[in-house]
Amino acid sequence: MLDTWIWWASSPFDYAFMRRALAACLALSFTAPIIGVLLSLRGLCLMSEALSHAMLPGIALAFMLAGFSLPLMMLGGLAAGLVTVGVASAISLSSGLREDAAMASLFLLAMASGVMLMTLSGSALDLGHILFGSVLAVDTGTLLLVAASCSLVLVALAVAYRALVVESLDPLFLTLQGRHAGWTKALFMSLTVTTLVVSFQTLGALMAAGLMLLPATASRYWSRRLETMLPLACGLAVLSSIVGLLLSYHLDLPAGPAIVLLAGGGYLISLLLGPHGGMLARRLSRPAPGEAEREHANV
Amino acid sequence: METQTARLRLCDLQLAQGSRTVLEHINGEFRDGAITALIGANGTGKSTLIQGIMGMLKPIAGRVECQVPNERRAWLPQQLALDLTFPMSVEELVMTGSWPSHGAFKGYCAAHYRKGREIMARLGISHLAHRPLGELSGGQRQRALIGRTLMQEAELLLLDEPFANVDSDTVEVLMTVLRDMARDGATIIVVLHDMEQLSRLTSEAIVLAGGHARWVPVESFLQQPIADSPAPFLTHAITGVGTC
Repeated sequence: MLDTWIWWASSPFDYAFMRRALAACLALSFTAPIIGVLLSLRGLCLMSEALSHAMLPGIALAFMLAGFSLPLMMLGGLAAGLVTVGVASAISLSSGLREDAAMASLFLLAMASGVMLMTLSGSALDLGHILFGSVLAVDTGTLLLVAASCSLVLVALAVAYRALVVESLDPLFLTLQGRHAGWTKALFMSLTVTTLVVSFQTLGALMAAGLMLLPATASRYWSRRLETMLPLACGLAVLSSIVGLLLSYHLDLPAGPAIVLLAGGGYLISLLLGPHGGMLARRLSRPAPGEAEREHANV
Repeated sequence: METQTARLRLCDLQLAQGSRTVLEHINGEFRDGAITALIGANGTGKSTLIQGIMGMLKPIAGRVECQVPNERRAWLPQQLALDLTFPMSVEELVMTGSWPSHGAFKGYCAAHYRKGREIMARLGISHLAHRPLGELSGGQRQRALIGRTLMQEAELLLLDEPFANVDSDTVEVLMTVLRDMARDGATIIVVLHDMEQLSRLTSEAIVLAGGHARWVPVESFLQQPIADSPAPFLTHAITGVGTC
């Protein structure tokens, strides 16, 4: 029995492409959830989701120019993402409208032009790869790029951790301090875009934010301490990645959706069972009728 | 400590929100070590003035002369737009006040943690040090936020309704701490609606009405009933203010 399980869990990784896919997913699992937790603390979850779609025209353009070259497409996505963030905040600054309105409009614009560019230039198969990810197609060069980007993001997160947390809690405080406020936000958005681009490789443009947001939102139901939430979120991402890849190999499922579905399952379980705000916990902690009377009687 | 120096001056200040001029021709100074109340009916420009003083709103004309360095300025907005579920403990919040000395990178040393603990003890929240912010009452949260400004060694402190949704014990503690800060030379400006609290905390007030600001001693409108109060602008201002 045990042998069967070991075989089930290890045999797929006899193949180099599965090992590369696993390495890419793990690199992402240690980075994206941290960004995701910080995003959720700032209430920017939907923004990052929009941003992941906004990368599409850059990816499409790179695809038109250089064919299916993952590094170039990542670069194109990065450029498109950064431009969208910049333009969105410029629009909201100049028009006084909230940034999310500008972001949503730009994201639709980007998404439509991306899909249009892709269909004009490529086959439906390529479009599928780009929208839904192609983690099993990661080659060594791309893997190195993924690993290097993730390491860079992790180091930057570690260095700027305090600034990022303080800014998430109370942006006004840092603004008044007059130092660090500007670069903190710019740095954070750049790290988010970089991670999304890496993520696009694994999960596709449509689900790039999956490993970022789902573990992060799930972890909030388990802890009220940031230093617990971060490893929890990473843990869930790692688990989803490994099991997702295994399921995709054995059951012939698409890898990206399998991983995101597992992370989503983790979120739903947390929503039900998590001790901090989970549905079960809230039901249990709801005072029973007549409890107030008993309390008074005890006094 | 009565000092005559003033590090915060408003010179013919004119402030607008969008295209609407809210306040104009504001001249005055805030003495170091003075607590000044800011009163006025809703919409008279209290928040606008605070934003102007804090440099968040560019004046259309005139200027704010503030010699207090940026890192010693603190602003506690009303019912601070803090995420109540933010996973941070009281101690961590208080410690973020050491930003001016530690910035984003320098590690906290034992002396700073000691200072943080002293501040929490002074505010009576030592027992809450490791409690997440999400589990605090309004009063406890306000104490923690004042703790942050103490950690910051704020020399210019603006508070918007600091005693709203706060229990009476906390009001006493906060008043003591604010008076102590003022005695140490901090300039404190506080938006208050409660006349009783106002008279206990400060003797000087700025009344905003009709786009103008007047510096008024607090007694002048506490002793006289509203009916025979002297200036029409004062009546207008006070009718918007909860009576004691």
